[in-house]
Amino acid sequence: MSRVFDELTNFARARSLFILHYCTGCGAIELPPVMTSRFDMERLGVSPMVTPRQADILLVTGYVSIKTLKRVMLTYEQMGSPKYVIGICSCTVNGGMYWQSYATAKRLDEYMPVDLYIAGCMPRPEAVISGLRELMKKIEQGEANSWKEYYRNYDYYLGNQQHLFGDQWQTPVDVIGEAEHYGLVGDGTRGEHTALLEQVQHPLKPLEMRL
Amino acid sequence: MMLSELLLELVLMPLVAFLVGLMMVLWMRRLGARIQRRVGPPLLQPLYDVIKLFGKETQISHGILHDIGIVMAMGGYIAAETLLPVPGMDGIAAYGGIITLTYLMMIPSLGLALGVGQCANPNGSIGISRALTAMLAYDIPFVIVVFGVAYHAGSANLIEIIDAQQQAGVRGWGIFEMPLLAIAGLITLQGSLGKQPFEVYVAPAEIATGPMVEMGGKYLGGLFVMQAFQFYTTAVLYTALFLGGAESWTALLLKSFLVLTIPLSLAYLFPRYRIEDLVRLLWKWPVMIGLLGVAFVL
Repeated sequence: MSRVFDELTNFARARSLFILHYCTGCGAIELPPVMTSRFDMERLGVSPMVTPRQADILLVTGYVSIKTLKRVMLTYEQMGSPKYVIGICSCTVNGGMYWQSYATAKRLDEYMPVDLYIAGCMPRPEAVISGLRELMKKIEQGEANSWKEYYRNYDYYLGNQQHLFGDQWQTPVDVIGEAEHYGLVGDGTRGEHTALLEQVQHPLKPLEMRL
Repeated sequence: MMLSELLLELVLMPLVAFLVGLMMVLWMRRLGARIQRRVGPPLLQPLYDVIKLFGKETQISHGILHDIGIVMAMGGYIAAETLLPVPGMDGIAAYGGIITLTYLMMIPSLGLALGVGQCANPNGSIGISRALTAMLAYDIPFVIVVFGVAYHAGSANLIEIIDAQQQAGVRGWGIFEMPLLAIAGLITLQGSLGKQPFEVYVAPAEIATGPMVEMGGKYLGGLFVMQAFQFYTTAVLYTALFLGGAESWTALLLKSFLVLTIPLSLAYLFPRYRIEDLVRLLWKWPVMIGLLGVAFVL
């Protein structure tokens, strides 16, 4: 019975995807044709959303500089699971034309689990649509579970983030607490990097009220 | 009436309203797509959205009021459905009347205000303050319209209002007897649906969907359900007040979808007003037209 229910949810999940497009680079220019009348993505059930809480897909289009990556991480951690990450353009795959840049994160999947890459510089709207179809197929078969990897291998991802952002790096989201609550603790959840995080972490305080 | 029959109606009325409401949401999205020369979403899209949102695996709650607020937002409309007479089912419409219905239709906004308040997101607070201001703006013409119709029919009971119109034939419909009130009601409808010229609180580009900013998963699912109920309630209420209700479900669906098409097609053609323009416009034109209409009725 629960298997039937799971299949029903997977079926609905694959057909209703809300995209949060984090448009950082030139790939963003290929998205308006995907949304509007030429390649209408709403007929696949994909529609744009504006806040991370409501979205299912985080679409990172183009290169992520180190400053931008901080914001991408904050956005990613606030999204409700199951969440999927799509990296568009070759910059998210291997750095692309920013390979030699000192300020750019080369590979997106060192910092967050990526479900799907759409390579190209830049990919055409047809490629974006076919990538979305690929993701929908994966979701319907129950294979798009990379969001669980973030909880299970949090130490690895946090280590890479600390390498870029410095040892003081922390986000408002308590990832280890969430992993414990949802029963997603794996071998790689805790490690030396999370130990470092626990040392430097200071609790979040409400902002001071001032007029 | 038998008690068991009444209980069955109380369960069936919100259920039917939910299904018709989902069809109306689909109609809105299809209509928008056609106006923008797109294909639009598939047939069961609103249902997929709701199932997916309730099936999210991590749910972020901001506290007890956040939970209660969403329940109030849905519950207000679910209670309102039982007061709306539809063909074959009257529910408790005979005991409630249109005044109770008017009160119940305000509860969702207040519940949303409670829930959003606990989220403590500045965008959400701006959004809900705008939503309450908009409610203040459209409720005054709405009350004038409702008063005019009730005075004309000599009763605040929706069943009697519908019966009086049906006995008088098509010429006796509210829209022909009180055209000014019907126009004022249509402008109010646009305001209460929060659609484009008056879409001040859900402003995706400006305050990132306002009240919904912190709502994810089942909370957003609750709001999707609420939207379905909202479309149904406003369209069926307008049909009951001005289009002579309906004798059959076919007529009801036809009339209510027709009513809904007017604000929705306007919504996809126009940008929106600022909040102070909204209040000024809604307090000037529908109120003036409505008062003139009431004067003719008196």
